[in-house]
Amino acid sequence: MIVLFTLLALVLGLFCGLSGFNPTPVSFLSQHSDMILYILMFSVGISIGMHNGILKKIRQYHLKILIIPLGITVGSVIGGLICAVILGISPAEGAAVASGMGWYSLAGVTISRLGGAELGSIAFMSNLMREFFSFFLIPIIASRLNNYTCIAPAAATSEDTTLPVLLKYTNEETVVLAVLNGILCSFFVPILITFFFNI
Amino acid sequence: MKIFIVMGVGILIGRFLMTGRIKKWNERLAMLCTLLLIFSMGVMLGQKENFLSELSSLGLKSFLFFLIPTLVSIILVYILTKRFMEKKHSDSEGEDK
Repeated sequence: MIVLFTLLALVLGLFCGLSGFNPTPVSFLSQHSDMILYILMFSVGISIGMHNGILKKIRQYHLKILIIPLGITVGSVIGGLICAVILGISPAEGAAVASGMGWYSLAGVTISRLGGAELGSIAFMSNLMREFFSFFLIPIIASRLNNYTCIAPAAATSEDTTLPVLLKYTNEETVVLAVLNGILCSFFVPILITFFFNI
Repeated sequence: MKIFIVMGVGILIGRFLMTGRIKKWNERLAMLCTLLLIFSMGVMLGQKENFLSELSSLGLKSFLFFLIPTLVSIILVYILTKRFMEKKHSDSEGEDK
């Protein structure tokens, strides 16, 4: 049901954007998406706060807390290298595009500047797809694999937009891990992109 | 940074809210915000110049750049968490929402 609503929201948004149908509520929403994100994060904070002993549980992980962001980052870079081989582009460019890890706005802008408009557009769209398809992949992974792995498709977006879906399909413990993962992955995105364009 | 302060305030407030009804409404609020965010993402994309032509010319390459890195990440995280995280914390798994 959620997946259907998600798809519907995107299609409606695309329709409004493409057709130029822009009544006040629509333009208000699109101009104040930061505000919606703040409300969302406040709401996610309440969910975490309501769950007793969650921080104590997280502390037990110690360095293991780095396993998920490490797996996502290495996996994304390897995936980017495989794409580069398939599409016949330079390995560094392939790795840079995949290093966006779902942060489409930053990856699109940075890669356009460093690697040209076409590569920038690929970075924008592929990372946007990563964020969008996460909404569909998370419920499947939660039922077939494990809760931790639900964070993998979301990557850098696991601290904001995909967090409510993670909350819905996993548990509060995974949500806290997802926030930490999102912070770490987001930190690595600009560093990795710059790194791959400088080697 | 602002985003984490907002979340921190939410966590503090959440510590004092224990009723099931609030939890349910809070989950609904989170989902509504997500849908509104996706909607505004769609509006932003639709308004982007050349969006449709870029999607048709670079869509397949972009899809590949989404699919393979995401799949490799999923496989790697699954193997790593199965090996290093799941055993000790298996009691926290499968909490149905």
